[in-house]
Amino acid sequence: MTNTHEPTYPPPRRLRPWNAVEKRLARVGITGRMLVLAAPLLWLLVFFLIPLFVVFGISLATKQFGRPPFSPLLTSEEGTVQLTLHLNNYIRLFTDNLYVAAYLSSIRIAFIATIITLLIGYPMAYAIARAPGPWRNILLMLVILPFFTSLLLRVYALTGFMRGNGVINQFLGLFGIEPLVMMQTDFAVYVGLVYTYLPFMILPLYTNLVKLDASLLEASADLGARPVRTFLSITLPLSLPGIVAGSMLVFIPAIGEFVIPSLLGGPETLMIGRVLWDEFFSATNWPRAAAVAVAMLVVVVVPIMLLQRAQGAVVEK
Amino acid sequence: MLRRGWFLPIAAVLGFAFLYAPIVSLVLFSFNENRLVTVWTGFSLKWYGELFRDPQMINAAILSLQIAAIAATIALVLGTLAAVALVRFRRFRGRTLFSGMVSAPLVMPDVITGLSLLLLFVAMESMLGWPQGRGILTIVIAHATFCTAYVCVVVQSRLSDFDRSLEEAAMDLGASPVRTFFDITLPIIAPALVSGWLLGFTLSLDDLVIASFVSGPGSSTLPMVIFSKVRLGVSPDVNALATIIIGIVAIGVLIATIIQLRARPKKARA
Amino acid sequence: MAKKPQLAIDTRPWRDSANNKPFVRIRNVTKKFGDVSAVHDVSLDIYRSELFCLLGGSGSGKSTLLRMLAGFETPTSGIIEIDGQDMTDVPPYNRPVNMMFQSYALFPHMSVEQNIAYGLKRDHLPKAEIDARVAELLALVKLQDYGKRKPHQLSGGQRQRVALARALAKRPKLLLLDEPLGALDKKLREETQFELVKIQEQLGVTFIVVTHDQEEAMTLATRIGVMNQGEIAMIGEPTDIYEFPNSRFVAGFIGSVNMVEGTVTEDEPDHVRIRSAELGCDIYVGHGVDCAPDQILWWAIRPEKMALSREKPENPFNANVTTGIVEEIAYLGDISVYQVALESGKRIRVSQTNNVRGNPDAITWDEQVFVTWDDNAGSVLTV
Repeated sequence: MTNTHEPTYPPPRRLRPWNAVEKRLARVGITGRMLVLAAPLLWLLVFFLIPLFVVFGISLATKQFGRPPFSPLLTSEEGTVQLTLHLNNYIRLFTDNLYVAAYLSSIRIAFIATIITLLIGYPMAYAIARAPGPWRNILLMLVILPFFTSLLLRVYALTGFMRGNGVINQFLGLFGIEPLVMMQTDFAVYVGLVYTYLPFMILPLYTNLVKLDASLLEASADLGARPVRTFLSITLPLSLPGIVAGSMLVFIPAIGEFVIPSLLGGPETLMIGRVLWDEFFSATNWPRAAAVAVAMLVVVVVPIMLLQRAQGAVVEK
Repeated sequence: MLRRGWFLPIAAVLGFAFLYAPIVSLVLFSFNENRLVTVWTGFSLKWYGELFRDPQMINAAILSLQIAAIAATIALVLGTLAAVALVRFRRFRGRTLFSGMVSAPLVMPDVITGLSLLLLFVAMESMLGWPQGRGILTIVIAHATFCTAYVCVVVQSRLSDFDRSLEEAAMDLGASPVRTFFDITLPIIAPALVSGWLLGFTLSLDDLVIASFVSGPGSSTLPMVIFSKVRLGVSPDVNALATIIIGIVAIGVLIATIIQLRARPKKARA
Repeated sequence: MAKKPQLAIDTRPWRDSANNKPFVRIRNVTKKFGDVSAVHDVSLDIYRSELFCLLGGSGSGKSTLLRMLAGFETPTSGIIEIDGQDMTDVPPYNRPVNMMFQSYALFPHMSVEQNIAYGLKRDHLPKAEIDARVAELLALVKLQDYGKRKPHQLSGGQRQRVALARALAKRPKLLLLDEPLGALDKKLREETQFELVKIQEQLGVTFIVVTHDQEEAMTLATRIGVMNQGEIAMIGEPTDIYEFPNSRFVAGFIGSVNMVEGTVTEDEPDHVRIRSAELGCDIYVGHGVDCAPDQILWWAIRPEKMALSREKPENPFNANVTTGIVEEIAYLGDISVYQVALESGKRIRVSQTNNVRGNPDAITWDEQVFVTWDDNAGSVLTV
């Protein structure tokens, strides 16, 4: 019994208006792909990439009074265009102790804060990754939750905690301990950085650790390794991409941090983000601020590349 | 699974205590009657009342919400297009540059982003006459730019899990590519779009540094107002505001988690 | 093995290709991805109401060929015609072809009914007609009570049937099935094979099935196209492919086979004699073979085409008997497979039906045995 059923042709296609549009666009070499790509590409070129070049350009200008408050790079006089580049901002950057100290201190503070965050975040991420199923989602949500609340407000919450008459000192007072001075110190800045960026450390570490095959640990134990040995020789090396990604996610923004040092730090807490801010808003020296930004960019480029490689490694797995 | 003893649970408990203790105390003291934020004298809602009577706060809040909504929407469109391009177009010229530009704003220090956009706006104004001055428009552009990167990451991960044969099946059954997008692709990536938008919205609402650079006179966003208040010392109405924001976010994240937990078994089996 | 669809001789159009117009014509189709040819110069005719299986390992190009038929890939060169119309550049949504996906590709956000109705809606059919057709299809795949469910609420077998119903909904001229049974467990797969054949016969739609499972291909197909490295290695009915393979690849790919190398010593129109050192005897082939004296070629024979005995059997041509020691016995219930080590060191497999229960006299390990076969039991292969 064959062919009892005669296949029918589908009804003719309706002509749709965009068919014509599509054909016309295709004729001039514009495909659907290009249309999808065009909007984000142009937007990011204009509002992300070009501004970085503008910053670089203006860092080569010099401060002057007026609007805008810097010397023009290109001047035209009687038909000849003249390009004037000033290197004095960069020279100042290297000769003025303030800038050098600010850079070194930013890197130092960001580095130490990253290590502390890693030391606190790793056990937390591991605990979450090893928690039983339903708990895992709840704990993860608890990590993400502060990330969604305002950074500013969380830093503010810390000030209430660490003030001279704040929660901690009141608690210590119950035991007759003298109030500690915590606010406006480097210590407060470290607490603030760790507190703020802890979720950034935990999330990539968790993503990495949760994929860790438990049978590897069992195999290691089976072959006679004690838990600490297993951790050092199996878990730690395998979670390296997560460690790098998490550390960079903390280190990079910490270097340029402004809110935390200005609310929690003292006047002697030098961080480059704060220097840039003051250069721009207080001294209104835009070219100098631009030069500081360029130098900061140079400092964060290497960690950014490290981060991208680590992310690639996480994705490949 | 290996038993790891007492160390991990204790570390986790201490870690979460560290994360939440300041927030909890902030919330508690928002109900404190005393102006001194840290000395409990009695329950009161007066700081909430004060908050709502402060026109500067209210106006800044309205402005911030508007900016966040517009910026998140622009970022949603741009970020989704960028994600589609990155996931679906395997090779195209400038792919490395494009993917770099999409992900770099995620880690770019805020002060650099803010400064560079401000300098761009100034340069554009003097050369093109646009944008005239700085205000809502420039803040929206700046926020949309960095939110695009976040939306892109969220949508990208959803799209790369996406089973392409679903779209092929729709086309095979007679749906044009456009039709397929609206019938199949869009409904399936919708949760990612929602969370991408929400993420953009929160980040925009949260931003102090970039907005400070690119805003103009009369366009102070909520974080800018809070910052100027907090800088001068503790003010209990900020506690009240923070409590409201934390409450909204907590409810939002809770709902999102419930939706995701419900959606997960479907995704795993279907 | 399952029964093939019972077609009368005159409904096997490929046996008389001069007088029958093929329904699907694939002409010299090549598909390159970058520099790699996934499909290389494939030509293939498929006739109306056939159930054609493309069989091959992974990377053989079978799926790419199927995707070109569906329109998801465009051939780099060559032509695809369906029912006399050139389909090479027609997009998938304008082809009278539907596909059942390996992953089933059921739309997770739509109910079973909505899934089945999706294609019909795209043709803007009236609602009543769509509803009737959906009900008809649900009945066809025996899922009447499951119309309102979402795909994730169905079992694997049920999802497979929904995918089939959805693909059949538009009454396609040609149905493409990509590993239709691949995701089912063994028992369910065997049941579903018969159902699939029944539905195909009932509707008379032309099916092209891609599979890597030779048993599935043998069960389902009217004809099989064996693919290897982007090319068609052989096209034929299941019996042809199994009994008369045209190459060492096909002989080795389908079923299990003993293959030996040999040299032609007698090349007559009615018989050929091949000397094989590996086998330790001459092979007498009872039909002519297109070959030259002294040519080196291969001879392949299936394990079940050979017989074992303790005494040396008669061998009229002084050929087709060799001897060896039983090394291994695999008892499979219905049959036992004996691995015999020949004097040359070559090991061959011989299978025997276990037609006596608990046979105490069965040949056992380390016995010397004689292996013999009929003069037409093996295939002479030159490539």
